[in-house]
Amino acid sequence: MVQITINGKQLEVPEGTTVLRAAEMAGINIPRLCDHKELTPYGGCRLCIVEVQGVRVPMASCTLPVNNGMVVNTESEALKKSRKFILSMLFSERNHFCPFCQVSGGDCELQNAAYDEEMTHWPIQPGWNNFVVDTSHPYFVLDNNRCILCRRCVRACAEMTGNFTLSVAERGAKSMIVADIDVPLGESTCIKCGSCVQVCPTGAIIDRTSAYQMHDKDLTEVKSICLGCSVGCSVKLMVRDNRIIRIEGDWDGSVNHGVLCEFGRYNAANETRRRITAPMMKKNGKLEPVSWEEALKAVSGKLAPLASDKDGIAAIASTRLSAETLTAFKDLFAGNQLVTSVEEGIPTAVTSQFAQKQGTFEGKLDMLRTADTVLCFGANVGRTHMVAGFMLKRNMPKGTRLININPEENELDDLANLNIKTKSGSDLALIRGLQAIIVKEGLGRSPVTISDVGACIDEAIRTIGISLEQLTQTARILANSITPVILIGKGITSQRDQRLVEELHKLAVLVGAVDNERAGLLSIKGGINSLTAALLGLDEAFELNGQKAVYVALGDDFISKSLAERVSQAAYVVVQASYESTLTEQADVVLPVTVWSEQEGHYINLDGRIQKAEKVIASPENVYDNLTVLSELATRMNISLETNWEQAILGRKSSVALSLNYRSSN
Amino acid sequence: MQTKRAMILVSNDPESVRLGADELIQHLTEALGAYDFQDEVEISTLSNVGASNILPLVVVYPEATVYGPVQAADARFLVEEHLYKGRIATDLVAPPKQLSGNIGWLRAHKGYNPAEQRIVLERAGRIDPENIEEFIAENGYQALGKALTEMTPEQVIETIEKSGLQGRGGAGFPTGRKWKFVRMAHGNKKYVICNADESEPGTFKDRIVLEGDPHTILEAMAIAGYAVGADEGYVYIRGEYGLAYRRLQHAIKQAEEFGFLGKNIFNTDFNFHIHLHTGAGAYVCGEETALIESIEGKRGEPRSRPPYPVTHGLWNKPTLVNNVETLANIPAIIRHGAEWYRSFGTPSSPGTKVYTIIGNVNFTGVIEVPMGITLREVINIYAKGMKPGSVLRIAQTGGSSGSIIPASLQDTPMDFESFRKAGVSLGSGALLICDQNTCIVDLVKVLLQFFRFESCGKCTPCRVGTQRAYEIVDRISQGHGQLDDLDVLISLAQEMERSANCGLGQTAAVPIRDMLKHFRTEVEAHIRLGSCPAGICEMLPEVEHV
Repeated sequence: MVQITINGKQLEVPEGTTVLRAAEMAGINIPRLCDHKELTPYGGCRLCIVEVQGVRVPMASCTLPVNNGMVVNTESEALKKSRKFILSMLFSERNHFCPFCQVSGGDCELQNAAYDEEMTHWPIQPGWNNFVVDTSHPYFVLDNNRCILCRRCVRACAEMTGNFTLSVAERGAKSMIVADIDVPLGESTCIKCGSCVQVCPTGAIIDRTSAYQMHDKDLTEVKSICLGCSVGCSVKLMVRDNRIIRIEGDWDGSVNHGVLCEFGRYNAANETRRRITAPMMKKNGKLEPVSWEEALKAVSGKLAPLASDKDGIAAIASTRLSAETLTAFKDLFAGNQLVTSVEEGIPTAVTSQFAQKQGTFEGKLDMLRTADTVLCFGANVGRTHMVAGFMLKRNMPKGTRLININPEENELDDLANLNIKTKSGSDLALIRGLQAIIVKEGLGRSPVTISDVGACIDEAIRTIGISLEQLTQTARILANSITPVILIGKGITSQRDQRLVEELHKLAVLVGAVDNERAGLLSIKGGINSLTAALLGLDEAFELNGQKAVYVALGDDFISKSLAERVSQAAYVVVQASYESTLTEQADVVLPVTVWSEQEGHYINLDGRIQKAEKVIASPENVYDNLTVLSELATRMNISLETNWEQAILGRKSSVALSLNYRSSN
Repeated sequence: MQTKRAMILVSNDPESVRLGADELIQHLTEALGAYDFQDEVEISTLSNVGASNILPLVVVYPEATVYGPVQAADARFLVEEHLYKGRIATDLVAPPKQLSGNIGWLRAHKGYNPAEQRIVLERAGRIDPENIEEFIAENGYQALGKALTEMTPEQVIETIEKSGLQGRGGAGFPTGRKWKFVRMAHGNKKYVICNADESEPGTFKDRIVLEGDPHTILEAMAIAGYAVGADEGYVYIRGEYGLAYRRLQHAIKQAEEFGFLGKNIFNTDFNFHIHLHTGAGAYVCGEETALIESIEGKRGEPRSRPPYPVTHGLWNKPTLVNNVETLANIPAIIRHGAEWYRSFGTPSSPGTKVYTIIGNVNFTGVIEVPMGITLREVINIYAKGMKPGSVLRIAQTGGSSGSIIPASLQDTPMDFESFRKAGVSLGSGALLICDQNTCIVDLVKVLLQFFRFESCGKCTPCRVGTQRAYEIVDRISQGHGQLDDLDVLISLAQEMERSANCGLGQTAAVPIRDMLKHFRTEVEAHIRLGSCPAGICEMLPEVEHV
């Protein structure tokens, strides 16, 4: 700890703290523009300058580390003059015509700073030049007229998502934020995560969908989680008039620390499918609206006799449903054998099976923050679980190595230090080959015995068709890492071969990927409640075996074509869904339900964090909550849904350690 | 046949003749006559020797000394020195390899007592820079050997500290102290960087050293590496310095072959490797942290300091960054000791300083003189006076970011201490000497144009300030300025100096400040009278509003 005096206030702060942060701790606000708590300090805007005793010129407090005994002054006439000068420079640089700006009136950090400094006008005339407005991007607009060149967006693009699309072209007064080599944003390598929009202090990068609608102060902010994938990012839903205006990453979110991907930020609130607003039943071969009473009666009447018949009903649920709903779903169809999820256990069944034997063996997502080597085995995190991919990509310039093993080309190919393209059925040989080389070279961290090292290596080389050098290099990189992380994805789990997980675990033990906080093995899983479904045992393949009826609790999820085809083979199909799809078209009864933002419930993400999603908007009048539909049916079928979900998920051993991650909402 | 004691050969190929070979032969003959040597020395001619840069060329046997280029006016001096006094006329000796600039030599025969002492330019222009053996013959790598085998790193640093050597890059930070900081910094990997990104307009002293004596820099870097505990060095060289780059590249290769670089140097366990890295034309990359960013492959923008490079430099490791001229002093200090070095210059600024002289003077090029001599001496003695008809009016010291001083300050001793007291910056050692036909507004406008172009754009005060300041001065130069503009300029200058991130932004304000401090009446003439006293600025007629 270091002693520091700010404006006469003495305080003790940890070593390495910047003066700006220390001042915050003391409750002293220092004006700043380029600084952002999730980004590396930059020291560009110079608004945060402070006087340090014994130093001739004022210094930028955002980059200045505290020194023991430092005496800092943040308020003086000279500083006030300097701040006014800096602001007047910024206002004179481009065209800050505040009345015409989306963020004007409270949401603009530049304007707010000017008000704080009691500025009333431009002391220096602007240059009156034209700057490019880039509207080529589907989700946001880059208006260089309002840019103050603070580089928050550039840093966010690099440090938060690891994408490096934005940068600065030219220098001096000609400096300009550009995408790639100055191509329109819409044609650039932008992955549309929107982090730049979220960090922009002015109206230079604005959100197309929410622009010019209202000020933040008029929006209700609800903290919740994104249901897009198993990562389970924390979001802030900005709501007004029962409408989600904008979705932002929650800076306090422990999973994502403010980062979101395209799916979470834009697609979640941009629904193009057609909503089902009334229960429907097939009459004369056509779906027709009916009352809830009629629909529920018909369904319960049909299902009740089959409920206790093992092969009476096949039931299938989405992994986007809450843990409460999935538990009720399981209870409702407890008498039936084929009760599973739409994922059919593809991302979780093998890890789950291995966990029954091994116990908890997977690590935490935060391992990616510290990993020095990441082995992506059949996991396309660049595309499917993008925020996990960001955690990996952003560390690569700092030296994190990436080994990408995948049968097909994927998004990580260009980034990876090593790419190995596997062939069908060669994964086992490859994993054993890597183990064998580590054992042969004596690089293992734990004693693992392998019979016939030579044969394993030969087998690996022969089946994959790579050279011994390449195999050896891969093994060495992995074995020489301090904090290796092995990510396994669908490419592995979909093979439903438990030996693969066993051998990967053995490899993890060999290379020391075991502490599960900084190094370890982690499977990426599928949807947001993938793990919950696995814990509830909803992970079987969906193969009809004479079942007379199929119940699909789809919620607002999508369904694969293959699954929809298999479902529709049944004589009687009930679908509980929010949107129209090929499945609902073929159903005998369609029960309209709420979507993600209209219901609340609990979700367990890929590394076992139990989180709660909030209800933020009211559902259409004639639409029921997913859980309500199930309990209404249960009542009519005389089935009790007493099981507590928190108990139910403890029914099986979990492959990752579960932890509560409730956050006080609002 | 009469025996001659010496023979003079003069090149008389067409190029030499064009450059005055015939006149030279005539003057040589006269000079021989004056000393009554006509019977002892024979003059003959020599055909083209393929050295176009040193024509006309004179070879004197039996010593086979090659002089060149020799002008007719040098004939008397040459005969006096070589044939009468019997010593080599060092000043006229042909450089073994071409340099892309002049080195000023104080002619002993002109009657002045030369204050000149060569430390930095000791070998530049005298030895073949592409031949390591010539360098070794001139005490090369002796200092490295001495440091490695006879001194501890602490002793090396102590010697440098005692010598009082100050950084020659502009700021004048005590070199020994900087070395000590890097030595004390934690970390097992450290770097030494030679800042050879000499980009102050009108400065080319480092180029001459790199072109003429590249091994000195390598030797000094190795000594520095030994002293601070680094085993790797970078020379960040200006991209335009092609010749210097090739010579350095060649020198590194030779030094490695001879074992002065690489592993186990002088059979000690000291290893040192040097890499070359060229800049890409940004002025700001001469700032040490921007230079480091550039080596790391990033955009050349200065970092915020602290932390300083001595603790968090290249790849965040402790790094020593020294200017070429600073480093060139090191081997001599190690060889001769700190006391010897302190015998030159002034007590507060020991040693010599290399200046680049440009402007309306008779000699332009580099000179090396002890610290503390005055601008008047430099102009009148080393620069051989102002050009005919020219009167000193404005001088700029230290390149673009240096100070602009009026003729009245020309008697200030040029050393860090005295200049600081006078509020003048010594800077990079460029001396721009301007005569009465220079308009201060025009000069400052050009400088601001340079700064606004070279500002990296990272910090607001510099990025916007240089632009706004240029616009105002441009307006004044067109006769459209207002007196209020001067107040705005003063506050711009003050705030840029206070709040800019790096030296570029802070010193960009200096020309404005100096202009208004020393030449305000001239600036006001542009505004009040709408005319340029020097007749340089083109006054544009006022736009008439209907």
